[in-house]
Amino acid sequence: MNDVSLGLYIERSGGLQRLHPTTKLVAMLTLFTAVFLSDRIAAIAPLTLAVALVAATAGATRNLWRLRLLLLMVFAMTFVLWSLFYPYGEPLVAWGPVRISAPGLDFATGTALKLTTFLCVGIVFLSVTKIEEFAYALQRVGIPYKLAFTITLTFRLVPVFLDSATSVVQAQRCRGLDFAGSGPIRRLRLYVPILVPVFIGALRRADGMAIALEARGFQRVGGRTSLAPYVASRADALAAIAVAGLAAGYGWLWFSGWTAR
Amino acid sequence: MALGSATLRDRSGGDPAIALHDVSFTYAGQTRPALDHVDLHVPRGQILAVMGPSAAGKTTLGKLIHRSIPSFHRGTIAGRIELFGADGTDLGVADVAGRVALVAQDFESQLFSTNVLQEVAFGLEQMGVERAAMRERAQRALAAVGLAGFEQRDPSTLSGGEKQRLSIAASLAMDPEILIFDEPTTDLDPEGKQEVLASLVALRAGGKTMILIEHETSAAEIADRLVLLDSGRIVADGPARELLSRVDLLERHAVRPPELATLAHRLNLLQVPASIDEAVDAVRRERPMIARSPSPATITAARSAPAPIVLDGVHFAYPGGREVLDGVSLSIGAGEYLALLGRNGSGKTTLAKHFNGLLQPQAGSVRIAGASVVDAPPAELAARVGYVFQNPDLQIFADTVRDEVRFGPENLGLAPEAVDERATTTLQAVGLAAVADEDPFVLSKGERQLLAIASLLAMRPQVLVLDEPTTGLDYVEQRRVLDLLAALNGAGMAIVMITHTPWIVLECARRAVVVDSGRIGFDGSLRDFLASPTAPEHANFVAPPGSHVARRLGVEPWSLDGILGHAEDGG
Repeated sequence: MNDVSLGLYIERSGGLQRLHPTTKLVAMLTLFTAVFLSDRIAAIAPLTLAVALVAATAGATRNLWRLRLLLLMVFAMTFVLWSLFYPYGEPLVAWGPVRISAPGLDFATGTALKLTTFLCVGIVFLSVTKIEEFAYALQRVGIPYKLAFTITLTFRLVPVFLDSATSVVQAQRCRGLDFAGSGPIRRLRLYVPILVPVFIGALRRADGMAIALEARGFQRVGGRTSLAPYVASRADALAAIAVAGLAAGYGWLWFSGWTAR
Repeated sequence: MALGSATLRDRSGGDPAIALHDVSFTYAGQTRPALDHVDLHVPRGQILAVMGPSAAGKTTLGKLIHRSIPSFHRGTIAGRIELFGADGTDLGVADVAGRVALVAQDFESQLFSTNVLQEVAFGLEQMGVERAAMRERAQRALAAVGLAGFEQRDPSTLSGGEKQRLSIAASLAMDPEILIFDEPTTDLDPEGKQEVLASLVALRAGGKTMILIEHETSAAEIADRLVLLDSGRIVADGPARELLSRVDLLERHAVRPPELATLAHRLNLLQVPASIDEAVDAVRRERPMIARSPSPATITAARSAPAPIVLDGVHFAYPGGREVLDGVSLSIGAGEYLALLGRNGSGKTTLAKHFNGLLQPQAGSVRIAGASVVDAPPAELAARVGYVFQNPDLQIFADTVRDEVRFGPENLGLAPEAVDERATTTLQAVGLAAVADEDPFVLSKGERQLLAIASLLAMRPQVLVLDEPTTGLDYVEQRRVLDLLAALNGAGMAIVMITHTPWIVLECARRAVVVDSGRIGFDGSLRDFLASPTAPEHANFVAPPGSHVARRLGVEPWSLDGILGHAEDGG
């Protein structure tokens, strides 16, 4: 087993990590909405910059760097697809179904930036929020306890399954499994020896976890308490003002139609 | 059924904690019952050990009491179960949550928090305990298992022993009346086993009813009473101390007896010695020929065949982590039987993964059969050095046992007939020919381990590397694996085994290599390893009692087998 923890949360004694969980969740949702509603590059870019700044202050740039391949791939794929197949505008190049146009390039850049920023917001949120805080915040915004817990458990299990997949790949490489130089069909078949053990292991673990949860009273109805006393501080008030300002600003821009293309 | 006085003692009086009346259970889709007409009364405060071969029904018994059967497993139940004097037949896990706790072998799936204190408090949160009381109870539970001071740690950063103790604390915080432990030490290294056993001993004083399902007698020794299960039936029931001295009975039900009990039994000593001193005295007194017989010449001569694996100055670190291997040089010769030892986190698994190119050195070199592992195709390396992972379920994927074994030779690019031929001969060699067309997932744990070994053997490697191949197996299954390895080694295959089980090292290995903080701490013959004042400690290797007795008697090799061998020769 590797020494490296696969979870995203970064332990910090101060800063964003210490904000009230609900503040963090609402900030994330606000940013998500603002990004979602913005189509213009000029509207998205400030948000991307803001997320980058937040990431830098929270030490979350480390996670963005770790996931750089994913981020790059999402950006590149989105950009390439939209710039080649955007159906409107005067084409600069046209070749069969492929038509590259100036508005197409603009739209492709915007959409790629939008999706990547979206992902970054999520990564930064998970970098500064413990799984338990996430579950607590979801409850505070009205999600039932069991659903909230289950949603957040999913996030916790992703690194666990990635870890088990790494072991399975190694075990099958010991039996001569080699992806090098094989065609797409053969390559798909090569995934069977990896997917079957990973999937069965995941089911087994889910089963064990369900029993453990139930044995510790997860199914009890009503009357729960919480260990951590989450208290809002002055930092939360400041964060709330910033988030409200952002929401108001982007809301106004959106109503005025400026964020649209 | 023999019930000793310890069995009948009820520390608090009143109804028994658990009463099973003629209970049977058959899992859905199976014909053979997992539990077959079981009657069992467990008084409050008793510590009951349950032992027996794999698939004897031990886990099923634990789950029935815990009520995860019927909550999570479908099947047919007959008979009546009482918990705390009331009918419990219709209760589910949720109904007894907090009163009956189960600590399972797989501690990973019992932890789901990012902070130790939070993990322990989880059950209390569900019960609606006030925050101040919650903190106090959680901290008391942590202290009870020796984890005070760990409150703010992330459970994923703990060692195996710490994780298992955390899972015990999480149950303990809810103050259960019955605690069931299902092989709590099986997946742990010796340090972890000791830690968990110490926690169990500490719990004895708490007056809780405990059920301890185990393969190893060292854990059962802390119990008041022992029940042996086989094929779903109770085959023996009595005071633990008494049953643990009945060597024939234990061996018949796939339990490896305590070494001093075996010694007494085989040498016809008057009684089982209580200590190593007593054992030495008893052998000297009752079988004086053994102590005086000359030692046979020990085989220490190194083989001179060319070494298939040569490591030179290997350095390795995981991305973003500290250096795990710090300049390791080692060569493994043809036909060797080597035990790779070391504490948890010493780097021995990382080292072993260099033997077949699974990991590549960042500095230094690894050569297999004279060729560097760098850029060698996986199939080529796999054909030379087989690597068997600890958990066979990490690799089993095929629909039939035969197809599972065919996978490796197919990857070598052999013709279908050659692949078939290899699958057939390999399955015969490991004793799985009869189940060649079965689905691997219906096999027992022991058979799955043999299948994992077979699937690598079919690639005809010169060296076989095995990571803890006997973990979680009963004694009969362990013997099957070890006998197979001995036969392969006898045929000239080099065996490298990572194991935490001292008697297996003593019985099998001729050479011991100790990895200590990423360096080779010791490399030499098994005898020199045992004689070394420091090497066993650096490997956290605790020689079993038989080894100490042999050494005190001046008998070689220094193991239980050594003494028994002399007894046969003329002692």
